[in-house]
Amino acid sequence: MELKQVNEFLWEIPRTGGMRVPGRIYASKRIIDDIRDDPCLEQVANVAHLPGIAGYSLAMPDIHWGYGFPIGGVAATDAEEGVISPGGVGYDINCGVRLLRSNLTYSAIANRAEALADALFAAIPAGVGSEGAIPALDLTEMRQLARDGADWALRQGYATRADLDHTEENGRLAMADPDAISAEAYARGRRQLGTLGSGNHFLELGRVDQIFLPAEAERLGLGLDTVTVIIHSGSRGLGHQTCDDYLRTIGKAMERYAIKLPDRQLACAPILSPEGQEYLGAMAAAANFAWCNRQMMTHLTRRVFMETLGISERDLGMTLVYDVCHNIAKFEDHVVGGRRRRLCVHRKGATRAFAAGHPALPDAVRAIGQPVLIPGDMGRYSYVLIGAQGAMRETFGSTCHGAGRVMSRARAKKEARGRDLIEELRAAGVTIRYQGRATVAEEMPAAYKDVADVVAVMEGAGISRRVARLKPFAVIKG
Amino acid sequence: MPRNAATRELEHSGDVGIEVVAATREELFAEAIAALGRIMYDADRVEDRERRKLPVLAATDADLMHDALARALNVFLIDAFVWRDANVIATSGGIEAELIGEPFDRTRHWLHEELKAVTYHRLAVERTPAGWRAVVIFDA
Repeated sequence: MELKQVNEFLWEIPRTGGMRVPGRIYASKRIIDDIRDDPCLEQVANVAHLPGIAGYSLAMPDIHWGYGFPIGGVAATDAEEGVISPGGVGYDINCGVRLLRSNLTYSAIANRAEALADALFAAIPAGVGSEGAIPALDLTEMRQLARDGADWALRQGYATRADLDHTEENGRLAMADPDAISAEAYARGRRQLGTLGSGNHFLELGRVDQIFLPAEAERLGLGLDTVTVIIHSGSRGLGHQTCDDYLRTIGKAMERYAIKLPDRQLACAPILSPEGQEYLGAMAAAANFAWCNRQMMTHLTRRVFMETLGISERDLGMTLVYDVCHNIAKFEDHVVGGRRRRLCVHRKGATRAFAAGHPALPDAVRAIGQPVLIPGDMGRYSYVLIGAQGAMRETFGSTCHGAGRVMSRARAKKEARGRDLIEELRAAGVTIRYQGRATVAEEMPAAYKDVADVVAVMEGAGISRRVARLKPFAVIKG
Repeated sequence: MPRNAATRELEHSGDVGIEVVAATREELFAEAIAALGRIMYDADRVEDRERRKLPVLAATDADLMHDALARALNVFLIDAFVWRDANVIATSGGIEAELIGEPFDRTRHWLHEELKAVTYHRLAVERTPAGWRAVVIFDA
């Protein structure tokens, strides 16, 4: 794969063959050297074949091999002439991250870390087929939830108005169509509200251990030693089934629209086609489920903290800093080639990162830019960033979403043989509760890039800026 | 009769991939379905108490593999049925799989991986000089 260096942090795959635009990868020299022979670069080029793609097929520095799109991929297609690709959103529709901050300091509660980990592990179902955080919902309730998103949680008393104000899209995509969700998808999701799931999903207790932008950190309620909670999960079985349903439907429709692509997993349909519109309604409904899912876990987390520490809601002061999705397609206005265009921005393992002043941002953060939450691995640290103007100029308002894997799951399990990862984490100051030991092995810190290297690229490129670093002290895994 | 087939795990960054080889087309599908169960739970602990039939129709063998595995995945995820093995017969335009197992029992059946879906990425079913071969990547 031919790669041209554009600047210190940007590399280009020239347009060849059926590519409609060039590919562009944000990476340091070290990151690009690690992936030169990886199939993920071919995937960046494949995405460039999508009809109606604008500007570039982009990849963030946490890029790794996905299916269809690379993980860390961003593609914006024209809202009228372009296509929507379910594979560009992924199976876990609106997989995302939310960050909670509290009035607590780590030094004041360090001796309660084990008790908090135990209580959270008991309250929030995690692991394979996890279910039962709340009683299973009937179809009528599921349809309401799919339509209303976080508003449903607010009505049920599981959310505050401030929670919704600090959630991307206020926790609800209005184009949701509950009729576009299949019976199988509802069946898979109805017992899973408020559950973490498995794989790379987690709930992490941490403390702020470094501040890079003091004024912005203060605005977000993040002081040194502040206790934080990160929740990483998505739309569970409802979203997985929805993606599968529409890959099949849209895959069959492609012939009718004379669309030919190098990878079947990139299946797409014109945005304005019946298939495209139906998928968008279903995707939005699944996204609404995901916001409710993370909100339910927020509710359970607050309750666990109050009960375990014997403190009031006021003393706990656990508020939502922000909730971002990193597997989604959104309609947004961006300037491309000097012209303002309405685009459908696919973010597959990438995060929206709007700069200060953007009208979509809530009042509380509009002056500083959108908070962006970048989890690292469970042994090192995570970052809180804010969107910068470079994102609006170059990346359709997008930045990275995590550390990015450097090791396959199979290889991580082999590397973990003979090692006591639980003890290694404990030595690093992290206590862990988990359902499956194999998951701990697959998610071991060495399986991921150092997220500090990833966010440094985004900052160096002017896409997002570091506000604070969070150090984990307790992790709940599936 | 023992099946003349084998499965090996493939390297794929965040997900789970398998390569299945078999002497016959029916054995290929049966082995892939059995392998799906082995990835998700300890299939050796599943007893032969009940049979579930899964008729699947599709235009190509690759689609048939995808749809058969996706149907079986939902038998586990929605119906909470686990299988220790599978038989497959060819039908007009497709296959009929028979899952050999029992209802899932959390006290006896040990869970391994959570699989979200069967992807189309690198999906392949092909005839080889030695028999049949399939590649499937699951989203995990």
